[in-house]
Amino acid sequence: MNEIRKEDERVKGTQEYVLLDLSHSPETGFDQFAQVVKRTFGKELFVGLWVTLREMGSTLFGKGKHTVSYPLEKMPIAPRYRAIHDMLRLLESGNYRCIGCGLCEKICISNCIAMDTKYDENQRKEVSEYTINFGRCIFCGYCAEVCPELAIVHGGRYENASEQRASFSLFEDMLKPIDMLTQQKEFDGFGAVSPNADENIKKTPLAY
Amino acid sequence: MDPLLIGTVLKSIIVLSIVSALAGFGTYIERKVLAFMQRRLGPTHVGPFGLLQIAADGIKLFTKEDIIPSNANKLIFSVAPAIAAATAFIAISAVPLFHTFEFTVPVINQLVIVPSVIADINIGILFVLGMMAAGLYAPLLAGMAQANKWGIIGSSRTAVQFLSYEVVTGLSVMAPIMLVGSLSLIDFNNAQADGVGSWIVWQQPVAFVLFLIAGFAETNRTPFDLLEHEAEVVSGYATEYSGLRWGMFFIGEYANMITISFLLAIIFCGGYSDIGFVAGWLAMLLKVAFFFFLMLWIRAAWPHVRPDQLMWLCWKVLMPIAVINIVITGLVVMLG
Amino acid sequence: MSENMITMTIDGVACQAKEGEYILNVARANAIFIPAICYLTRCSPTLACRICLVEADGKRVYACNAKAKDGMEVLTSNQEILEERKAIMQVYDVNHPLQCGVCDQSGSCELQNYTLELSVDTQPYVIADTTREAKNWSSVLHYDPGLCIVCERCVTVCKDMIGDAAITTGARGGVELDKEYKESMPKDAYSMWNKLQKSVITPSNDTDSTNCSDCGECIAVCPVGALVSRDFVYTTNSWELTKVPATCAHCSSGCQIYYETKPTSIENRDQKIYRVTNEWNYLSLCGAGRFGYDFENRVVAKNEVAFRVAIDAIKSAQAIRFTSVITNEEALMLQTLKEKLGVKLFNTEAKAFQNFMSSYTTHSGNMLFGGNIKEMMQTSDFIISIGSSLRNDNPNVRYLFNNIQKLNKGAGLYFHPVGDSLITSMGKNITQIEHKVGTEEAILYWILDQFADKEKLPSEINEYITSFHEVSKKTITEKVITDVTETVVDAETGESKEIVKKVTTNVEKEIEVVANRLLDILDAPADFDATLEKYLGKKENFSLVLGEDLYFHSQVKNLAHLVALIEEFTPFSVAIIPPRTNSLGVALLCELDDDMNDDKITTVGYNTIGDFVLSSLGNGDLDMPAMNQQEGTLTNMHKRVVPTNAAVSYHGYELNDIMNELGFGQDLTVDWTSLLPTGRGFKSVDFDSLPNGYTNSGEENRGYRLENKTTKSTSSIPTKIVTSDISGEILYRCNPQRQFNEFTDKAHQIFEEFALYVSKEKAEMLGDKATLEINNKEFTLPVVVDDRMSGDIIKLPDFKHSHEIYTHFGDSRFKSTTIRKA
Repeated sequence: MNEIRKEDERVKGTQEYVLLDLSHSPETGFDQFAQVVKRTFGKELFVGLWVTLREMGSTLFGKGKHTVSYPLEKMPIAPRYRAIHDMLRLLESGNYRCIGCGLCEKICISNCIAMDTKYDENQRKEVSEYTINFGRCIFCGYCAEVCPELAIVHGGRYENASEQRASFSLFEDMLKPIDMLTQQKEFDGFGAVSPNADENIKKTPLAY
Repeated sequence: MDPLLIGTVLKSIIVLSIVSALAGFGTYIERKVLAFMQRRLGPTHVGPFGLLQIAADGIKLFTKEDIIPSNANKLIFSVAPAIAAATAFIAISAVPLFHTFEFTVPVINQLVIVPSVIADINIGILFVLGMMAAGLYAPLLAGMAQANKWGIIGSSRTAVQFLSYEVVTGLSVMAPIMLVGSLSLIDFNNAQADGVGSWIVWQQPVAFVLFLIAGFAETNRTPFDLLEHEAEVVSGYATEYSGLRWGMFFIGEYANMITISFLLAIIFCGGYSDIGFVAGWLAMLLKVAFFFFLMLWIRAAWPHVRPDQLMWLCWKVLMPIAVINIVITGLVVMLG
Repeated sequence: MSENMITMTIDGVACQAKEGEYILNVARANAIFIPAICYLTRCSPTLACRICLVEADGKRVYACNAKAKDGMEVLTSNQEILEERKAIMQVYDVNHPLQCGVCDQSGSCELQNYTLELSVDTQPYVIADTTREAKNWSSVLHYDPGLCIVCERCVTVCKDMIGDAAITTGARGGVELDKEYKESMPKDAYSMWNKLQKSVITPSNDTDSTNCSDCGECIAVCPVGALVSRDFVYTTNSWELTKVPATCAHCSSGCQIYYETKPTSIENRDQKIYRVTNEWNYLSLCGAGRFGYDFENRVVAKNEVAFRVAIDAIKSAQAIRFTSVITNEEALMLQTLKEKLGVKLFNTEAKAFQNFMSSYTTHSGNMLFGGNIKEMMQTSDFIISIGSSLRNDNPNVRYLFNNIQKLNKGAGLYFHPVGDSLITSMGKNITQIEHKVGTEEAILYWILDQFADKEKLPSEINEYITSFHEVSKKTITEKVITDVTETVVDAETGESKEIVKKVTTNVEKEIEVVANRLLDILDAPADFDATLEKYLGKKENFSLVLGEDLYFHSQVKNLAHLVALIEEFTPFSVAIIPPRTNSLGVALLCELDDDMNDDKITTVGYNTIGDFVLSSLGNGDLDMPAMNQQEGTLTNMHKRVVPTNAAVSYHGYELNDIMNELGFGQDLTVDWTSLLPTGRGFKSVDFDSLPNGYTNSGEENRGYRLENKTTKSTSSIPTKIVTSDISGEILYRCNPQRQFNEFTDKAHQIFEEFALYVSKEKAEMLGDKATLEINNKEFTLPVVVDDRMSGDIIKLPDFKHSHEIYTHFGDSRFKSTTIRKA
């Protein structure tokens, strides 16, 4: 795995494109014949054979294979990838961040988010139910972008197949478990606050 | 009862079952080899190293629904796969696979001589080539019977490709026949019994290459797999086939690959004669395995040709070369 | 209309307006936008927000209280005005919590809108915040002062429209504004802030809860999320709700409402009504309309067995008994059943109303009464209400009564046996006459006497009225000033001069005093004549509203006759309030029979008792859709046929299915709409073409107006006053404020119970529970104090049909009874 990543990083840095020298198609019969002779008795065919044989050798005895043994191994997901949503908690209190404002529900272009809210005993708006219908979700990321509290974000779970349509779709399934709060990372993907957000804010005078 | 008949039947059964199994095993080997050449894994999950993948595929093929399209000619549609498998196996019957086995039966203490060839006929080479040529009916009929335009295209390609390359096969093998002076494959083998130096390939490299190329075409292998090339004609003659019938085409193809490998080994590469300390049967297996591997290797390495290039290659390049080769060989034989 | 129409221009657009109309109203009527937070179209200007500042003929005026003049040129904005407005919005945003995410008003919030409209993006002003706790004012009202911007719309509407005046501005206890701001800030913004910083809305009775009719109009007008119904708080965002325009099905006002629906929950995707809203600039709802919306009859599938039984029951029934809470279409279906199957149609309240109306028609020649309540609201300045407990019977007429006092500076007379302190609290020029039960004829005769053109009035009537006049001679002492001319001889000059001296002498004089014995019958106050004279000064537009007491009256025919005479010979325009939701429609459409409550007659009940019961309430033998589940039209007291729509799904059988099964149905229920008889004033129009809304100028664009059919009137002379004597404890059949029928009772936000409603004094006598006896049947009911009632009469509700209150009361709304503590 590490090897592959290193290689990927190496490739990522500099892209070395090579323009192919595409010769003209043979026009006369003789040209064609010459081309066949050249290709047959030139090394081209054997180069091909050599390359495949060499790769086979290196696969069996050398560098190994490219294949990622999914699902035993998984590739890391880029932060901007839009996978199954996560509902985050406040790091200080462990309360969930969602305030039930309904903006995600409104902005959702596939109309797959639904929530029930109520007035709770602490005189706060409480989200009593929250679901995303992943059969309809197109993972556009608008919900994460519109969320004023960074409560709903795209997590790393991209395996959407399940026996039940309802899987992952409830608030509790998406919510960061309270015992894993320490592992919660601030979202840096689609819709996160920009790194220079503080600079763009005009402060309110608080004279008193 | 005639011991010959019993022996023939027994041998037929043994060869049939082994070759069938090998055909299946061939698919496994093919997938593994291609995977390694492309730095992949190939089958890994079913059984150790994915070996039982063959069984899994078999079960799948056997249990799959057998669909006959409503507009198809049902009889021909059903029979075509059987032709594919049958001709392939019948062709093997005249190929001497190994030595003639000699052993003493312990109880009756009698020496039994078992020729490894099922039917030792003196025109073996003609029979084998003829039988393989007859195999052309399978994809031809299958493609025409299934009422599918891709099938029709597949079958027309079959007719063109197989008939054309039949010429090259026939002509290229003429030169070795002239050298050996026999059509019996056992005679071919015996003519090359004097070690590696006596292999016909050294005398007839051109014929060998031509036969090899034609062999690829005859067995519908890359770079000549035009009959059912997915990117062009969906699945060609096999478009409407599924399940066991489709599997029979597959078995036929792999059996043909094995037959061609044997033919190449026997006609050009010394057959089952011992090479120094290497026993003949082992040498034979190694040679066959090499040719089989070569087919897979080429599939991994080379792109396939266009139909027009295929015809051009056959009639304008290969056939003239084969004729010239015969003429030269003929002159050498007459003058020498 | 006597007002002169004038032409003025607003932002270069020529606008027609009535002289004296407020500029803001002219702009609104002509779809020109002038920002305004505190002003309500039909109410008096508050001048709290000062954001409607405009330039009229070069002067800066507030559009909400500046009157339009001919040729006036108004500019709605210029740079200075915009700065002034922006400063005001910046002030409004000071310390307003940034909790739009959870606020119920978010998305339809005027503070949000104007903040964006005036592009407020910085906050230059600052002041220490004051802690303000959210409170529940009543069983439905939830007030969060933290969100409140003290625009006083709630206060204004409660006073001007509703008449409760239950809320007012109170002290906030915030810190004083920094003196510096006075110089640095725009003037209007500073004075607005100065007021805002000092006030907050509180109940006007100095307690923590409002004493009001829980109509929730304050919730409707609140521009921010400060006032929300307790049930609605935080349940949904306004943008998720689908507005279904409909008609309120509870009383005969037939107000336009929007059912706002959304799926019930995540599991249950059936539409549910979350709240009811109204066009609050043009119409006010009552508590039943606003909160009594969840009376739907949830039926998941058709019950075929019950349907079969129902068909047989209808085929074999001799009569169908129903209530007036049905659509015109259903009424027409029932009438069709009568015509085809020969069943009788029983509907007590509609029958009583029909009797009254037919007698009225006979004597006046008009099918419909002439008065129009909407017009009265705008123009009338003197109102008399007879025979209706306004607070309970019809909130819209009560709003009318209040409106005339508050906005038209009018006067009012309220005739009713049961005293109501709310009515008298509506204005200074109101007299309440708690007359004896059954003396309504005397009132009407008195009106004829007082207001009729005596020369045109038939002489017999004149004579009869005059017979009540008691001319008595009375000696009064009068100061008479006489000029006495004296000849005085000047002592010095010797000239004699004539000088005139004024000499006051007391002269005893006998004058004729006309005392009207009719007023004695009515127990009018002693100085009533003088009061009335004061009331009538400068009054031009007279209204008379009549209520249910007159239809349930032994002299119903005579009363109707007198009403016809009043309409003919006095300047009064008369509005007759139908007793129930669609009583007018039923009375026009159905030939009703007298219900004798004979047990031998097999009846099918529709939402009421019967041998087989079709019910929209879910408790009958076959389910029917409730009013919020069906399309159809209602005929309201404004003489309009208005459409209503289905807001909630219904999957059972409808009346039209029964009609189809019997062979005289239509494809759809609304196909009956165009079949409503044109001979009875209806129009042959498709349901789908009926509008249901208001124009910018507040004109009602709903359904169509019933056409009045005139016939030749028969002139005859009304009979003389018959006074019936009711003795003992008196019961008055009257529902509590927000209850009209079993549907309101089913709604979960209507809490008024089925109990005896009595005045405070009476309650002390009766205790918590009382047993009363009517027609040998005993009822034990809780006793509830209605602190606005006075007198001994006990109100007994009729909204539960299982108690058969109508049957027990017979042809009167009053009933004598015996009552004891339970």
